[in-house]
Amino acid sequence: MRAIATFVASFGVGVAIYIAIADSGDGSPVCLAGGNGCETVANSSYSHLLGVDVAIFGIVGYLLLLAAALLRGDTARMAGFGVSLAGFGFSVYLTYIELFKIEAVCQWCVLSAVLMTVLFGVNAVRMVGYAGRPA
Amino acid sequence: MSGDEARRKRLLQVASAAVFLAIVAVAVLIVLESGGSGGDTNLEDAGAITGQLEGIPQKGLELGRPEAKVTLVEFGDLQCPVCKGFSEEIVPEVIDSKVRSGEARIEFRNYTIISQESIPAGAAAIAAGRQGRGWDYLELFYRNQGVEASGYVTDEFMTAIARGAGVPDIARWNRDRKSAAILGEVEAQTAEAEKLGLTGTPSFAVEGPATSGLETLGTPSSAGAIEEAIEAAQGRG
Repeated sequence: MRAIATFVASFGVGVAIYIAIADSGDGSPVCLAGGNGCETVANSSYSHLLGVDVAIFGIVGYLLLLAAALLRGDTARMAGFGVSLAGFGFSVYLTYIELFKIEAVCQWCVLSAVLMTVLFGVNAVRMVGYAGRPA
Repeated sequence: MSGDEARRKRLLQVASAAVFLAIVAVAVLIVLESGGSGGDTNLEDAGAITGQLEGIPQKGLELGRPEAKVTLVEFGDLQCPVCKGFSEEIVPEVIDSKVRSGEARIEFRNYTIISQESIPAGAAAIAAGRQGRGWDYLELFYRNQGVEASGYVTDEFMTAIARGAGVPDIARWNRDRKSAAILGEVEAQTAEAEKLGLTGTPSFAVEGPATSGLETLGTPSSAGAIEEAIEAAQGRG
């Protein structure tokens, strides 16, 4: 479980860093299949929360998940579960915003949402399967 | 029950409570977002506007091919709720039938009649037009319009509209919209509307091979009436 979480969280850090760099200044992430969904999403007021690029929250979240995956014991299991639960909930909210408020879908955001869903699943299995048991 | 089992049970209870709280938090956030009331900085319909204008050339506040024989001019006030209605119900039909085909181009000019706030709003539209996003700005402003003269036309609101409209250089847009040249342009457009004898917004005017200069149409009641005026200006009416 920890190996899978480490791999997915590392990938997530990369994706979030790419989104943050691409969205800095006046740019926006490039949609691989064409279209301008990423530009629309990146230019919307929802791309920033309290003045901070949402992708920055993503980087912090994935780094915490990476740390939780690398550490052993119940504290790490609980931290991984809690952070991935928050990340998953936030991804559900952002996907709703994309579909119904901005009315544009950015593939990079979808990729991040999928990674966060996988991390939530892995951390939930780790938590339920091993909580209270020796590291 | 062993100590480990008790600890495991407690941890799972905490995890269950966290899941419950997360579900409630996401549900509350979505319910709050679904009640958008306009005039705020959480923009409605940016994607729909991008689709509506996609592939049509823009220059300043002109939308359509430069070689189009007929020019339809809309004199509007960005705070005017009737203009918002036209922008959502009538103008898109004209864009699809006459502008996209290259028969006509449509030009927005400011006729600021609601309140002083209409002047910076109009200047911001012209500044967005200098970066090729004038019509995106106009349409997005209308879709997110607040209550007229209520003070919602703040720098923050206009910046959110500009970002949503895809204005590439926000710093330049900020300089431009406050410049004497652009503010003067808003005033000149309003003066032109008054000179034409227009009495309200939106008012339309048309110019083409079969008209003698810019001929006013008043406020047509339907997209069909505007389309007929365009055809008449082409000499096909």
